[in-house]
Amino acid sequence: MHQVEVTVNGVVRRAVVSPETTLLSALRDSWGLTGSKLGCDVGDCGACTVLVDGLSVNSCLLLVVQVDGREVVTIEGLGGVEFLHPLQVAFERLSSYQCGFCAPGMIISAKALLDENPAPTEQEIRAALSGNLCRCTGYTKVIEAITEVCRARARVGGIGPPA
Amino acid sequence: MRSFEFVAPGSLDEALDAVARHAPHVRLLAGGTDLLVELKHAANGPQFVVDLGRVRGLRGIEVTSAGLRIGALVTHSEIVRSLLIAEHAPAMVAAAATIGAVQTRNMGTIGGNLVTCVPSLDSGPVLVALDALVTVVGAAGKRQMPITEFFVGPRKTALAPDEILVDVLIPAVMLGRSASFRKFGLRKGQALALVSAAASVAVEGGLIVETRIALGAVSPTVVRALRAEAMVTGMKVGDTAGLREAAQVAVTEARPIDDFRASAAYRRELIAVGTFRVLEEALAKATAV
Repeated sequence: MHQVEVTVNGVVRRAVVSPETTLLSALRDSWGLTGSKLGCDVGDCGACTVLVDGLSVNSCLLLVVQVDGREVVTIEGLGGVEFLHPLQVAFERLSSYQCGFCAPGMIISAKALLDENPAPTEQEIRAALSGNLCRCTGYTKVIEAITEVCRARARVGGIGPPA
Repeated sequence: MRSFEFVAPGSLDEALDAVARHAPHVRLLAGGTDLLVELKHAANGPQFVVDLGRVRGLRGIEVTSAGLRIGALVTHSEIVRSLLIAEHAPAMVAAAATIGAVQTRNMGTIGGNLVTCVPSLDSGPVLVALDALVTVVGAAGKRQMPITEFFVGPRKTALAPDEILVDVLIPAVMLGRSASFRKFGLRKGQALALVSAAASVAVEGGLIVETRIALGAVSPTVVRALRAEAMVTGMKVGDTAGLREAAQVAVTEARPIDDFRASAAYRRELIAVGTFRVLEEALAKATAV
């Protein structure tokens, strides 16, 4: 068994795990953070996407022992019911959630994109989300929500997608 | 997933020691995008997993007098973002950008891609077209070999059970060499290559003086189309008909298979189209001033 200490959404979390425990399993089963979903379990669907040290990864393909000492952000770390993240607001406002299963991963991937590129083109948004599958096939509204966040930020901050 | 003993050494010596003690019941973990999938489905997993993620010295990208050195644990995203690679071997950036999705590229490493050695590996063709060398280290010491010798067959490399791949080197003479990469898949995102092709060319006074053509996903491992290369070398720049003929010859140098993704006949068409395009693109870069 291995003792791990991971900073999740700014909170230091500890667990004693067997080595084959994935980060996703630790998040959900040890720490009760069930926002990240188990979909395909082979790194294709992106439902388990989280940020590790700022980069988006599939938490089903990482052992939690690999992230010992590192920083993880999950959907729970972006915002809560009291104070939603702009991406969550836009997803809700535009009905971008259908069944909702893929949404946490979609929003984490969108955040990773906007952190790196605040003014993506639609093609760049599509490419950035290519690792997130929606089996309701509701991609159009997802792209619209992300685009809306970019536009809103551009109005506030003077940056935005090309006209 | 079956359980195993996990070690995360901090140095290459410790990693080599762990591997030497436990080989062949040991697997090396780099980005994990292939290994974890395999471990989840394996009936008999390894007894030991050695995580290379904390080994110092496996991560850098640098240019030395020997060439462009890329550590085995460099991720595909780091290749996509590297200004050094963009300057000296931009076709590598093009190839890395086609791998998986963002998440896969953030986790997966060039070393892992090479060691897993599936026939469709996206890192392979450009490295072959740029005469890359790989360095492996084991109990018996360090050895360097051409990447074409490292690739042995599907999921088979020249790496001995007690060895670790430490870096990839693009030799100095190939830095800045005009090269191009194309990958054909069933869609743009997260697609495995049906066919991939890379070419590099050197042009002097309007003549093509050196050519490499490498094909992926169409043989047990990445192959060079040597007869097609010989046809292209010596051609004048602008001989489109000649390039098309050479591309047809390249088709005969591969052994594509029929499977659920595509027929061998379709793959042969793609080899001709891909070979022609990468040659044309590499030549366009070589002659652009």
